Amino acid sequence: MENLIPTLTVQVFNGLVVGMLYALIGIGLTLILGLLDIPNFAHGALYALGAYLLVQILGMTGSFWLGLLIAPIVVFILSMILERLMIRPLYPVGTNYVLLFTFAVSVIVQELIIILWGPVGFSVLPPTMLAGSVELGLFSYPRYHLFVMFVSVAVIFALWLLLERTRYGAIMRAGIENKTMVSALGIDVYRLFTVGFGLGAYLAALAGVLIAPIRGLTPYMGVDILPFAFVIVALGGLGNIIGAIAAGLIIGVTQTLTTQFWPQGSTITIFAVMALILLTRPQGLFGAR
Amino acid sequence: MQKVTRREFLKLAGTAAGIIGLESAAVGCQVAGQVGGAGPQPAPEIPMLGIWPFTGAFADVGPVLDRGMSLALEEWSYKVIGRPIKYVKRDDETKADTATRRVEEAIETEGVKYVIGPWSSGVALAVSEVAKRRKVLHFFSGGTEDISGKRCHRYSFQWAAHAYTAADTVVKTFLRENPGAKRWYLLIADYAFGWSLEKYLKLVGEKYGVQVIGSDRHPLGEREFSGYVSKAVGARPDVVAMVNFGQDAIQAVRTFYNFGWQPKQPLIMSWSAGVEELVQLEPEMRENVWVGTNFYYTIDTPVAREFVKRYRQKYNEPPGYAPAAAYGMTRLVLRAIEKARSAEVPDVIQALEGWEGEDLLGKMSIDPRTHQTLRPYFFLRCKKKADMKDQWDFADLIGIGDTPQPRELNECQDIGPL
Repeated sequence: MENLIPTLTVQVFNGLVVGMLYALIGIGLTLILGLLDIPNFAHGALYALGAYLLVQILGMTGSFWLGLLIAPIVVFILSMILERLMIRPLYPVGTNYVLLFTFAVSVIVQELIIILWGPVGFSVLPPTMLAGSVELGLFSYPRYHLFVMFVSVAVIFALWLLLERTRYGAIMRAGIENKTMVSALGIDVYRLFTVGFGLGAYLAALAGVLIAPIRGLTPYMGVDILPFAFVIVALGGLGNIIGAIAAGLIIGVTQTLTTQFWPQGSTITIFAVMALILLTRPQGLFGAR
Repeated sequence: MQKVTRREFLKLAGTAAGIIGLESAAVGCQVAGQVGGAGPQPAPEIPMLGIWPFTGAFADVGPVLDRGMSLALEEWSYKVIGRPIKYVKRDDETKADTATRRVEEAIETEGVKYVIGPWSSGVALAVSEVAKRRKVLHFFSGGTEDISGKRCHRYSFQWAAHAYTAADTVVKTFLRENPGAKRWYLLIADYAFGWSLEKYLKLVGEKYGVQVIGSDRHPLGEREFSGYVSKAVGARPDVVAMVNFGQDAIQAVRTFYNFGWQPKQPLIMSWSAGVEELVQLEPEMRENVWVGTNFYYTIDTPVAREFVKRYRQKYNEPPGYAPAAAYGMTRLVLRAIEKARSAEVPDVIQALEGWEGEDLLGKMSIDPRTHQTLRPYFFLRCKKKADMKDQWDFADLIGIGDTPQPRELNECQDIGPL
């Protein structure tokens, strides 16, 4: 019993770390869904691509920091090209076709990862300055996990500033609410789609990079994470960014606290929580539709 | 473009799930189309099925299992008792329903009479039932004790060491090296394999004075271990022993390392694939990790030496437990066909029952009462980075154990008729 409070505190910390990562992935997915009206089935693959690009950059330069900076930017650029050249022509045909296309992209990216980096997984060590643990009074906690939490908070705060305090963010929010109106105001809504898709992919890739030293890499890591990303989007409310943050944290903390009391139920509980919330609030926690 | 409503979103998600199902089926069919052997196939050929996980939770192991079986068949030049062998492959997707469906299909369409695999214990138990009903010979290697225990029957054989043998080797050898480390915490994969080994680690541990101060079970395919690790570390055991496999085990080792457990404290992988798992961990993560395994490539027997040499020549890396098991099982089936001078399943089963001889792991035999292969189990200690001679020099082989399961503990009451 005397160990319960520190253990529970550690579990809450664990939940917040993993929850922030889930939130990053979920925000990216919900942003794309809100703007483009497509459930992006390539989102998991873009997350995996970010992690593998980190390994590539790490191998070439030996610098985790360069990987952290460059890998998500590369995915951001590639995704904008993908949206502009291949997804945009499908908009007039219908959402089903875009969905099928993103699914095809996810399979292609996964297979390309296997061809380029092999089917066997990798581990990545945290950078030396973030290795080891920090003493936090009641317990010690991995330094890298704390770093992940702070970076995630900083990125989400920066995103909030972009969306809430800039003109472009206001246009983006308006695009999520009503694309027809934005278009009627003379704004190039398709450019908005391209940037939105790239931004969502950037967040997925960043999550992939940050999670690499925690969970390692396998070609199937995108498939593993995708159900969680969709749970977060559905739970937070389709297209709702604040909802995605809240849902990510709820899922993360629920997952780790369940591990403490009912380990076998740690995965089931996530989906049970989603089902429960959707039954009582079908539009999700923050959704309006 | 119109907005996607919640109802439409769910419909789209359902459509995508359907597509994923179709894609998986396509993978199964595609793999099924690959047939070993070359040139015209003189009748009557002997179709042998390798049912491996090319997708799903153990997807990374499927290709190396396939390599092991192929190497054994190549060694026999795809021929036994003068008849050509047709190597039929199917993807079990690490799912019991898919595996049983595809085994049934291979029996119907290819006339398969020998089934080797799958890799997951839970999946194998389902396939074993098909083998019993369809009267085909089934050889499996895995951690569940039920194949040669309470669900034994004449058609299924177990190649891996019994969970009791494994537990005894792990506990005995570890305590020999760390006599004071008696407070153990267990982290168990929550399915047939995990339950078997957990039971015997506790039972054998008691014999050697081990006190299990806590244990947790995690779902198969778990990727978030921070909660489990925090709990285990908080209990302050002398050692954490894991009973999980593949990506579950790899991910758990990583998380223990991130939380600063090893190298200060020892971590045991009780039932590891060896090479296939260790290669996915950085040397720093492996330090003070102890590994129980059914095969390691430095095992010094004539068959193992030749197998490792050929495997390394062909794939430029040493084999781990998975390809070795596929190779070993295929060899035993082929040797039994030769011994029986017949490819009829009842004859081959009788040839395997009570078989004794030198094979991959040295002296081996098959218990006719349970169909359990009696063979050694191995215990390794991972090397520090500075002590590794090359990138594959993961560990020292420090213990070999072959204590069989005591007869009174075996639940195979009657292996039944053919």
